[in-house]
Amino acid sequence: MSNYVNPQLAPTNRSPRPANKKMRLKESGGLASGLMLAPSIIFLAVCSVYPFIWIFRYITFNYDGIPAHTRYTGLRNFTTMLADTKFWSSVGTTFEYALWKLVFIIPLALVMAVLLNQKLRGSSFFRGVFFMPTVISSSISGMIFTFIFATGNGILNGILQNLGIINQPVGWLTDTAVVMAAVIIMSVWAGFGNYMLYFVTGMTSIPEDVYESSRIDGANGVQTFFKITLPMLAPVLKVVLMLAITGAFKDYEAIMVLTNGGPGTRTNVMFLYIYNLIFGTGANATRQIGYGALLSLVAAVIVGAVTILYNIVAKKLDDVV
Amino acid sequence: MAKNKAQIVYSPKQKAIRALLWLLLVCVSILVIFPVLYIILGSFKENQELLLGGSNIFPQKWITQNYIDAWNQANFAVYTKNSLLLSVGVMVISLVVASMAGYVFSRKHFPGKEVIYGIFTAFMFINVGSVSLRPLYELATKLKINTSLWPVVLFSAGGGQATYIFLCRGYVNSVPKELDEAARIDGCSFFQTYSRIIMPMLKPVLATIAILSFRQGWNEYIMPRVFTMTNDSLRPLTVGVNMLKNAGDGAAAWNIMFAGATIAIIPILVVFICFSRYFMGGLTAGAVKG
Repeated sequence: MSNYVNPQLAPTNRSPRPANKKMRLKESGGLASGLMLAPSIIFLAVCSVYPFIWIFRYITFNYDGIPAHTRYTGLRNFTTMLADTKFWSSVGTTFEYALWKLVFIIPLALVMAVLLNQKLRGSSFFRGVFFMPTVISSSISGMIFTFIFATGNGILNGILQNLGIINQPVGWLTDTAVVMAAVIIMSVWAGFGNYMLYFVTGMTSIPEDVYESSRIDGANGVQTFFKITLPMLAPVLKVVLMLAITGAFKDYEAIMVLTNGGPGTRTNVMFLYIYNLIFGTGANATRQIGYGALLSLVAAVIVGAVTILYNIVAKKLDDVV
Repeated sequence: MAKNKAQIVYSPKQKAIRALLWLLLVCVSILVIFPVLYIILGSFKENQELLLGGSNIFPQKWITQNYIDAWNQANFAVYTKNSLLLSVGVMVISLVVASMAGYVFSRKHFPGKEVIYGIFTAFMFINVGSVSLRPLYELATKLKINTSLWPVVLFSAGGGQATYIFLCRGYVNSVPKELDEAARIDGCSFFQTYSRIIMPMLKPVLATIAILSFRQGWNEYIMPRVFTMTNDSLRPLTVGVNMLKNAGDGAAAWNIMFAGATIAIIPILVVFICFSRYFMGGLTAGAVKG
């Protein structure tokens, strides 16, 4: 690229040679590059590939962590799964949780991004504030909300009672009717800053003059949003939705801290159910690692299927619009 | 651009709308800050006041005894040390491993490169949840290294490396290859070219990786929880605080837990406030290139 030589003028037998030499020079250092790549390859093999293969080894085994108890049970784990209403209801709970989370988190993130894009005073401060919860460990945010939602001495009930909105303290974490709302509030709080930032970044690539011309044409804010911002943001929105969907299906850390799946199994999402099968402690926990391995695989397939389904739908919508 | 903005003149109606929107932003901000503020201010309350509840976010009487108790009696000095080891360890390992791999992936052509790269990408999308911790835990037990926090450091760094490698590779791709060639002609070996010429140019992306991996280590929860199930002295803050909650006397120790949770979030918040640019830049860069 640097020294362009007119091919018609250059002596044909000379030009390839220096290039070859350069190539050889570049391709030396094979040992060094192998050594430099080695740590990441070892990590990949140990932390990703090995556990994945390990799962396949145990899906047909009864295994509770004690090697002596391990035995081959053929398809029994599979038939157990088909009849395991607890598991399938946890899958249902996961869908319910993911749906509610998405319904609130995406519009909130989008609206906040649009507001930040209005270049109001202190926009970058607000952006930092909205993003802040995402840097806090999900275990700690789960914990903070256990205090906030506590029935007797939680501050939410305190404030609501003070304002006269409720008379009796609400059992945010003990009442099956409202506990899902509590979980959703926590996860929206903890996560919407991420998606907001994607939207903000997407909006900066919309040229300013598009907005200007719409303003001249007399479009108001709402019209501008639906006719310009949203269509031009469509590619970003598609990616964000996919990240949000897969993210919502994988959530369980904060839920584990906040409700541990309870009360009963009301907020027991599938990855939490599986965690308790594999690492369960406590009185009524029965460790079934082989079975848990099978369910993990099924859960991964479910998440994969949802992702693929979403991509198909998104593509179809593309063709329509 | 700046000139263009200056030319926009808002009518009184528009001004009113903008003021309303601004108020909306303020309201949402208050809602977002509230939980964090509540836990920080609550950590200065007396336990009695916490157990009584109510709607007052500010302590009636400010005390620091909670921190002294947490630090001395509840083992938080050890938890904090472990959290630091975990986060700094993950950060250093991630920086070294990802920058080397990113450089090789960007510059070298070798058989099987596409396959390895494909495996990296595939495992970013395959998520089997906590089950993958089981073989790692058993591996650490077999190797008898589960009496220290190092397996957690290593496995955490190993689990998160793909994103960082992609970030690095993308950045190295934007560095002209002519620089490498010049360095090689001047007598640098392959490794020297990386360490003396390319590495210093990667500062922005290395800063992003440092921040993201520090946060990853500091916030890690399930993995250290599993690995330190029977060993309290290895627990980082995230696990230590939560174990207090699960302990039988959980309700009685609200003040300790408030102080512990505050100790767990203050450092990462300070890092965030100082380097928010890198946090936010890293997120979007990772999404675009990864």
